[in-house]
Amino acid sequence: MDVLGANFRRELDSHRYPMLVYALVPLVALVLQAWLPRVLGHYAWFDLPLVVTVYFALGRRSPIQGTLMGAAMGLFEDALSNHAIGVNGIAKTTVGFLAASVGVRIDVENHTIRLILNFLLSLLSSAIYVSIYHVLLGLDLEWSWYTELFKAIGNSLVALVLFPLLDRLQIRE
Amino acid sequence: MESFFIRYRNLLVLLVVLVAQIIGLAVQVRRTNEGRVSFDPQDGPGVRLIRLWASAIVTPPERMMHSAKLGSISLWQNYLDLRHVSEKNQDLQKTMDRLRLEQAELLEDARQGQRLQALLGFQQKYIYKTVAAQVIGSSGSDQSRVFYLDKGSAEGLARDNAVITADGIVGKVREVFPHTSQVLAINDQSSGAGVILETTRTRGILRGNAAGQPQVVGILADQRIQPGEKVFTAGGDQIFPRGLPVGVVQKVVRDPERDSFIDVIIQSAAHLDRLDEVLVITSAQPHFSPEQQQDLATSETLKGAEADTIKEQKKASEVMAERLPGLTDPNAPAAQPAAQPAAGAGTQPGQAPVTPTLPAAPTTPKLLHSQHADRFSPATAQESSPAPRTETKQKLDAKPQQSLKTPQGPRTQQDLKSPQTSKTPLNKVRPTTTGTTPVRPVPKTSQPVTPRRNP
Repeated sequence: MDVLGANFRRELDSHRYPMLVYALVPLVALVLQAWLPRVLGHYAWFDLPLVVTVYFALGRRSPIQGTLMGAAMGLFEDALSNHAIGVNGIAKTTVGFLAASVGVRIDVENHTIRLILNFLLSLLSSAIYVSIYHVLLGLDLEWSWYTELFKAIGNSLVALVLFPLLDRLQIRE
Repeated sequence: MESFFIRYRNLLVLLVVLVAQIIGLAVQVRRTNEGRVSFDPQDGPGVRLIRLWASAIVTPPERMMHSAKLGSISLWQNYLDLRHVSEKNQDLQKTMDRLRLEQAELLEDARQGQRLQALLGFQQKYIYKTVAAQVIGSSGSDQSRVFYLDKGSAEGLARDNAVITADGIVGKVREVFPHTSQVLAINDQSSGAGVILETTRTRGILRGNAAGQPQVVGILADQRIQPGEKVFTAGGDQIFPRGLPVGVVQKVVRDPERDSFIDVIIQSAAHLDRLDEVLVITSAQPHFSPEQQQDLATSETLKGAEADTIKEQKKASEVMAERLPGLTDPNAPAAQPAAQPAAGAGTQPGQAPVTPTLPAAPTTPKLLHSQHADRFSPATAQESSPAPRTETKQKLDAKPQQSLKTPQGPRTQQDLKSPQTSKTPLNKVRPTTTGTTPVRPVPKTSQPVTPRRNP
C-alpha cells in the first residue's frame, strides 16, 4: 500500500510535456478511435484512448493525473457510444490509477515492460467493463474473450510503436 | 487530519471519481415493470448534453478527415488513375442505353402498379422522403455498434428515422444533434427490428450478437429455415417500412438459453462495416416529385375512366343477373297463342308469319329484352350486329340447339371493337316487331326464325 501514498512519488523522474500535447494527443486518439474502425472494419483491435491513458499515467507517474486522464477518456468514449456514460469511465479510471501507481516503482522506459503492462491493463479494462455491465448494472451483454484478447495484443503492439513517438514530445532538461 | 488527506489523496481522488461515475450510472439505469434493469432509451437532458459535447468535439476533425479521404480518392480517380477510361466510357454508354430502355419499361409497370393499387385501395406507403447522408465516424467500440452521420436535425432528421442503403436496412437514428446524428446499427445488441423470412414467413426480432452479426432471435425451432433464405423487414416496428431487404440466412444455431428456440444468423444485405453513404427515411408519407405528380395525375385520369367503365359493366351484369336465371317473365300472360297473330302482323310484307313449332305455350320460355346487350342475351347479337344477320339466321335454322346454347352466335369484329354498340339498350336500337306481347325478337331477315326446343 505504500505505493498508493503521495510520499512515494518520484516526481523527479516524471516526464513532462507541453500543454498542447496534453490537449491534442488524447483528442487525436479519440478521433482516430472513432474513425479508424470505419476503415479497418472488424480488424480494429485496439483502444487508442486506453493506450494514451496508460502512456501518460506511466510517464507522469502521478496517480491523480492518471485517474483524471482515464476518467476523461473513458467518459468521452462512453459519450460517443450508445451505452450508459460511466462504464468505460470507471474502467479507464482504474487503469489510469494503477498504471501511474506501477510507474512509480518500475522502469517504464523498457519496451518489454511497456508491452506487458499494456497487455495486462487492457485485459483488466475489459474485465472491469464486463463486470460493471453484469454485476453492477445487471444487464445482458454478450462478449467474447477472444476479441478482448486480440484487443489486448493490438494495444500492446500499438503501444510499442506509439510510446517512442510520444517520448519525442516530452520536455527534456 | 490534514496529513491523512495528504497521505491518501491519491486514493481519495480515485474514490471520489469512481463514486461520482457510479452515481451517474445509477441515474441512467432504471428498472422495468418486469423487474429487469435496462437503460432508458431516451437519454436525459444531462446525458444528452454530454453526448452533444463529445459529438461537437469529435465530429469536426472527423469531417475534415472524411473530406480529405474523399478528396484524395477523387484526385486519384479523376486525375491520376485514368487508364482504360475510354473503354470504360464506351461500356458505360452502352449500359446507359440499355438502362434507359429498362427504365422506360419499369416506368410503365410502375404506373400500372399505381393504378391497380389505387383501384384496390392499397394504402401501403411505397414512396418516402429520404435524406442522403455520409458516415463520418463510429463509436470506436465493438460493444457499441453506432456510427455518426454528417446530417442532423437541421436537415430534417429525427429520432427513430430508418437508415437504409440501396442494398438493405442499416439501422435507425438514435440521437439527433443540430448537424450530426447518431445511428444505431442493426447489429448492435440493443437494436431491434421486426423481420420476416421470405419462404417460411417466420417473424422474429433482429438484433446483434457479440460478434457484430445481426441475428433473428425468439423464434421456435423450424427445420424449414435454411441458409440462403431471404429476410425482409416486417413493418411492425413503426420504424422500418415493410418489405425492405435485410439479408439472407447465414446459419441457424440453437438458442443457448432456451432449448426449443433458435437464433438465425443473418448475413446483412448492407455492408455494415464499410458504410460511406446512407439514406435516412425522414418521412413515411408519400412524397412525389413534380414529374411523379404529373404521372400520377395522368394515371388518376386513366384510372377514373377505367373505374367508370368497370362500374358500368358491373351495373349491367347486376341487371342481367336479375333477369337471366329464369329467362322468363313471371308476369307475362300464359296465353301464348294470343300473341301469335300480333307477331304475325308484325312481320313485314312478303314474309311468312312466325309459326312456333313448340307444342305448348307454358313450356316455351318467353325471352325478355335485355336492357344492356351482351353475348349472353338472346337475340342481342342479332340486334347489335346487323352485318352477318343472314348468316346468323341460317345457322339458327340449321342448328337450333346450338343457337339456344349460344344465342348470340359469332360476334362480328365490329362488335368487339365497339363496346358502345353492345351497351346500347335494345329498345333503342330497333322497335319491337312482335306487337304488344313480345315473344321473341325477330331478326330482320327474309325468313322467319322459329325458336325450337332442344330435342
